[in-house]
Amino acid sequence: MSGLVYHYPDGNHALNGVSFEIAAGESVALIGPNGAGKSTLLLHLNGLLPDRRSSAGSHHHHGAGWSGRKGRGPASVWIDGLEVDARNAVEVRRRVGLLFQDPDDQLFSASVIEDVAFGPLNLGMDKAEARRLAIACLERVDLVAAADRPPHHLSFGERKRVCLAGVLACGPSVLALDEPTANLDPRGRRRFIQLISGLASTKLIATHDLEMVLDVCSRTILLDGGAVVADGPSRAILADAPLLEAHGLETPLSLLIPRSAADQRAASPD
Amino acid sequence: MESDGVERRSVGGLLHRLDARVKLLAAVAFVVAVVATPLGAWRLLGGLGLALAVLIAVSGASPIRLFLRWLGFLALVGFLSALTAGGLADRAHMSWGLVVLNLLVKNSLAFLMMLVLVHVTTWPQLLLAMRRLGMPPVLAATLSFMDRYVNVLREELERMRSARRARWFRQGRDLSVGALSTLIGVLLLRALEREERVHAAMSARGWDGTIRTLED
Repeated sequence: MSGLVYHYPDGNHALNGVSFEIAAGESVALIGPNGAGKSTLLLHLNGLLPDRRSSAGSHHHHGAGWSGRKGRGPASVWIDGLEVDARNAVEVRRRVGLLFQDPDDQLFSASVIEDVAFGPLNLGMDKAEARRLAIACLERVDLVAAADRPPHHLSFGERKRVCLAGVLACGPSVLALDEPTANLDPRGRRRFIQLISGLASTKLIATHDLEMVLDVCSRTILLDGGAVVADGPSRAILADAPLLEAHGLETPLSLLIPRSAADQRAASPD
Repeated sequence: MESDGVERRSVGGLLHRLDARVKLLAAVAFVVAVVATPLGAWRLLGGLGLALAVLIAVSGASPIRLFLRWLGFLALVGFLSALTAGGLADRAHMSWGLVVLNLLVKNSLAFLMMLVLVHVTTWPQLLLAMRRLGMPPVLAATLSFMDRYVNVLREELERMRSARRARWFRQGRDLSVGALSTLIGVLLLRALEREERVHAAMSARGWDGTIRTLED
């Protein structure tokens, strides 16, 4: 991702030249205060916001590569060497699995199984195959029993897991997760973190849950005002109290506990 | 899908297990028959009513709940019949009151029939039946979305109402007509925003405008 610029139609600058690269298999946390541009950035991974940029009308194509200054350059995002644009949209969307924050936005079908099969069917799979895949994905999130239920009869945590199954069913190589642990109760949160950790794909996780970041992500990108403020190993960034406070965040408690206590905690079973 | 909900809703009725297409067609045929009954054909209406009563008994639907729903619908139907009865009364050489009564009875029979249909058929079954009977996929998808999000929107409205009530420190009704219309306006805006997110979520999973489902 390089020199990403994005304006909302009302002229608000959501992203001002965001550049970073993520290697395959990496787990990266995207942190920052509300309104920093995290969710907007995730939508860009999927090419879901391109037409608005052109309708803003103030940008011209300057070729790919670094531009990084506001008002310059195209919003350039590459996934596996593919540039995210209208031409590649289908392939890019197959490779990037986007998990939305509110499961009700993502679960639009009449039954759970229909919803999980939605992606595979759109990818051209036949019905029997799509059904098998959907059931396999529901097994991964432990919700096969709910296959025929309507989504609004499920709990929030269950709906969230169905969403994940629906994303996994598309077989993405990159997972973009928007606040995966928000609004979950502690048990649901722990379960969801376990699920995420068990996935081999590249992960970009936008979140306020910094404890989860320590568990899941080796690298952290701090975003504020639509720009990258810091980018580095999670432990280093999350231990930098002045930096976090300057951007509306705070150091996770587990990093404040003295080393020995933290070790003890790690040694005791969860 | 065929068996979906049978365990959940069945009270042992044969009607629940019948193919949804048969039920739908039969119900529509019944409604057409009721509507086609000429004014003043009380015996025919009585016969149809009797058939419906038997059907209600077999279906295991609670007559009280059916009655309450019918009552809720009555105000609108009564108003409309009263408005239209004038012209019809002259042509049919019947008194105005009898025409209104006739219209009300016909309407009630049709309405109750539909209530019985949705009692013995789950919504997904009904939707599937409509699709199999040739309803355009876009219309079927729209109905499916409606069912999915009407609950979500109702919860949203309920939350907004509670939030309002929590800061309403006076006696009496908490929602004036003006306040309600504001609330509905806000709900509409929120629905629009949700629609954008849902569309993004659909596109993210490869939606290209064609509706594909596991069933058809």
